[in-house]
Amino acid sequence: MIIKCSPQDQEKILIYFEERFGIQRQLFEDFRFYSASKGRIYIGPKNLIEKPKPVTGGILIARISRDIKPTTIFLQLFGKNATKNKIRLNKEHTIRFIQGENLDLTNNKVQDASNGYVLITYLDFPVGCGLLKGHHIRNVIPRPKLLDLEFL
Amino acid sequence: MKPMVPDQFKERYGQIVDDQDAFFTSLLKQIPKTFRVNTLKASKIIVQERFEEYGIDLKQVPWYSDAFISQDNSIGNTLENFLGYIYIQELTSMLPPLVLKEELRNSEFIFDGCAAPGSKTTQLAALMNNKGTIIANDIDYNRIRALKFNIEKTGSLNIIITNLDLRLFPEKNSFNIVLVDVPCSSEGTIRKNPTMLSKWSNQKKRIPGYANLQQQLIVKAFNLLKPGGCLVYSTCTFAPEENEGVINWLLENHLASIERINIPKMKLSPGILEYNGKQFNSEIKKTVRIWPHHNDTDGFFIAKVRK
Repeated sequence: MIIKCSPQDQEKILIYFEERFGIQRQLFEDFRFYSASKGRIYIGPKNLIEKPKPVTGGILIARISRDIKPTTIFLQLFGKNATKNKIRLNKEHTIRFIQGENLDLTNNKVQDASNGYVLITYLDFPVGCGLLKGHHIRNVIPRPKLLDLEFL
Repeated sequence: MKPMVPDQFKERYGQIVDDQDAFFTSLLKQIPKTFRVNTLKASKIIVQERFEEYGIDLKQVPWYSDAFISQDNSIGNTLENFLGYIYIQELTSMLPPLVLKEELRNSEFIFDGCAAPGSKTTQLAALMNNKGTIIANDIDYNRIRALKFNIEKTGSLNIIITNLDLRLFPEKNSFNIVLVDVPCSSEGTIRKNPTMLSKWSNQKKRIPGYANLQQQLIVKAFNLLKPGGCLVYSTCTFAPEENEGVINWLLENHLASIERINIPKMKLSPGILEYNGKQFNSEIKKTVRIWPHHNDTDGFFIAKVRK
């Protein structure tokens, strides 16, 4: 079940998106933030119904615990507006990443991304979320979304 | 074993179809792979260019500019599918949102009564460009997982999910538009699942039960409409009891009117006015049957009802 997100959590998320990815808060003005169990934060439509109680609203954008973890689906949708902490993969790495592999980019440039969650891109397409530590990218794409690509 | 169309099936539907041979032959042909571009995330041009680079031939659907047909079974293994730029969906399933295109422009509050797995719901969101609110309801919690997955994949931000038996949905809620793609005997999907033909004589026995459930669902869907609002009722079956029979029952018991459906460049057949000796209200000719041999699709039925 979802409830309206607290202003404090909403502000935390908006500041994180701005500071980490350069994604501006104006993009979310037409939507409302909701929260659910386990720190899950959604953005969805402004109007809700009271009964029956909604199961979810819109899409899951992040989880808040000690840190904030953005979701792959959020970054796929809004990643085009990101200006920093993006890592562009080549074709081979993209295939492996979408299959669920962690990547070691020792021989590649991690560009100017800093440790933490990063937006993975291929060409100009926002592909998903990874966790960067040094030159290592941990794959955090949810398992049901993984795919063996034949074409990219 | 090669599937065959049962004699009883031929007897039942031979009397209401225009071209029996073409119809029965079409049921044994594999259905082409089709998808629509998810305009919430990508433009049609980008998708067309990418598929051209892959060497995958696409044919645009004449009656829906966002939809494409491919003979290549690999379209599911493209980056565009992973990213939610395309949504693999049977063509007839694209029709209910499409016939509401005009109404959607001015509607704030939409209800999809049997929403999972979300093909039509996410298409509604795309046609609304994520504006307004869609309440997507389904009775089956397991199917809601698929609905959630598809909402997230397509980036559909204007959808709220509820999990309730539609018959129990509180009527203090009311909507400009209600869509109800009801559970049915699914005969129209034989091309996707030809083994259904061998089980058809058993499945046929369930038609009266489905029709009874559909009457309960359509009356609830109708009651959830605001005055002047529009309801789209659809099934993927050929059974008149589940199609014209249900609409006829609604007209007999409620102040509803039927609106004409027009989809340029698609061959549509009017709803039938008589079946097994039962006469239906003449308004029912405004409902639409989609026969598989007319447009190389599944079989489908749609009615557009105004309150």
